Amino acid sequence: MSLISLSKVGKTYRSIRGTDYEALRQFDLEIGAGEFFCLLGTSGCGKTTVLNLVAGFEAQTEGTVTVAGKRLTGPGVERGVVFQGDDSLYPWLTARGNIEFGLRMRGLPARERRERADYFLELVGLRGQGHKHPQELSGGMKQRIQIARVLANEPDILLMDEPFGALDAQTRSVMQRELLRIWDSTRKTVLFITHDIDEAVTLATRIGVMHAGPGSRLKATIDVGLTPDQRDRTNDGYVAVYRQVDALLRDEVAIAMRRAEA
Amino acid sequence: MKTRGDTLLRAGGYAAGFAALFAIWHVAAVVIVRSVLFPPPGQVIVRAVELLQDGTLEEQVAVSLRRIMTGFLAGSLIGVPLGLAIGSFRLVRYLLEPFTEFFRFIPATAMITVAVIWFGIGEGSKIFLIIYTTVFIVTLNTSAGVSAITPNKIRAARCLGANAWQVFTHVALPATAPYILTGMRLAMGNSFVTIVAAELIAANAGLGKMIWDSRLYMLVDQIFVALLTLGLLGFVTDRLFRWAIHRFAGRFSPVS
Repeated sequence: MSLISLSKVGKTYRSIRGTDYEALRQFDLEIGAGEFFCLLGTSGCGKTTVLNLVAGFEAQTEGTVTVAGKRLTGPGVERGVVFQGDDSLYPWLTARGNIEFGLRMRGLPARERRERADYFLELVGLRGQGHKHPQELSGGMKQRIQIARVLANEPDILLMDEPFGALDAQTRSVMQRELLRIWDSTRKTVLFITHDIDEAVTLATRIGVMHAGPGSRLKATIDVGLTPDQRDRTNDGYVAVYRQVDALLRDEVAIAMRRAEA
Repeated sequence: MKTRGDTLLRAGGYAAGFAALFAIWHVAAVVIVRSVLFPPPGQVIVRAVELLQDGTLEEQVAVSLRRIMTGFLAGSLIGVPLGLAIGSFRLVRYLLEPFTEFFRFIPATAMITVAVIWFGIGEGSKIFLIIYTTVFIVTLNTSAGVSAITPNKIRAARCLGANAWQVFTHVALPATAPYILTGMRLAMGNSFVTIVAAELIAANAGLGKMIWDSRLYMLVDQIFVALLTLGLLGFVTDRLFRWAIHRFAGRFSPVS
């Protein structure tokens, strides 16, 4: 059985002026435990809406969303979210304070919190940076804090909304490698939103491509049977997957652009 | 990051600035105006020392400051929870905005007469006026602070297992602290204005009363002692606030 399941999901944003926007229509998606699933689509196709539904930040207007067989009623500790920007970090806390936040909410003793924070600071490569405040750290380091903060809370599922979208190309590439390494050692289920094909092929075990919005559905899913050393832009297997995804996405980009002009 | 150079620069700058202020005052009084109605700083300081020695100045300062502090603290204690409630719940906002947005435009000075009729010329009317002048500005800033919290901070907290109360105490409150302190800082400025106005019009003691009495006996240098004291007191209190905002709100505070 799938860990995350969306069945015939519709999401319409109602507006007081009567200009309702239907983001998703009859949207189906199944993600199994341990998968690294990348959801790929053009901008405005409703990728983030899917993540917000699974996170429990928003409720669908039709259909069902279940996690581990249970219908969602809101956010939960078993689903950790890494946001795109740094506005979810707490600037009045240090990096360590941010990482310990969830543990403190659950009432873990200070000693245990410190040990866990140390472990995850080390894991995300922020050893010795724990005393700094987020605003003293670079964009890449802030995303590392976010990842450590979520992992320290031990969720079953990681929901990541273009977490590296605001980083420069070099930092992004380093962060992708780090994320793969961390995923390899923790084997969490990941739903990763991106519009970058390279990022999806580098990270995913399976890629889902969405139709252009509005009323978006999943167009196709592709199994990425690449070994870690094949995840390289010059590798033949990588190029084959890239082409496959690119072919699926290209039409949707054209449609999205045509709709934007109309 | 604040360096030792910054601290030296500030101390030096302030010293030079105050020296210039007194120098300009001196030149204006001795060279330009040359009137008994505009005493030079030396004369005012001599008079201030006399008033300090016989205890009058301390007494007036104590009276005025006690009124400000009582009213200011009470006003903040009322304003902060009100602002938090207005910022957190839309219904509360719509219920209370008619009050806050109505009274905000009736200045405390306009309420002096009413306050005296209601509470007499003693402490009651002064403390009422200081509370009045504090409450709305603290409420307004606090609710603005709550509104300025980015939704992702709250969403992240919910995902990390915080319940509604923990979201309030661990996210909403610390995120709002710089705004609360800024509101209190502005309210402190208003309190000085209000207390002097109230004491000028109706009071039995205080710096405002001292100015009014001195006018009756044409003690111009004594008026200037009161003015100088107000300026210095205001300067010191505002420094204390800025220090507190930095201390408690860190580098992300809206003031610098």
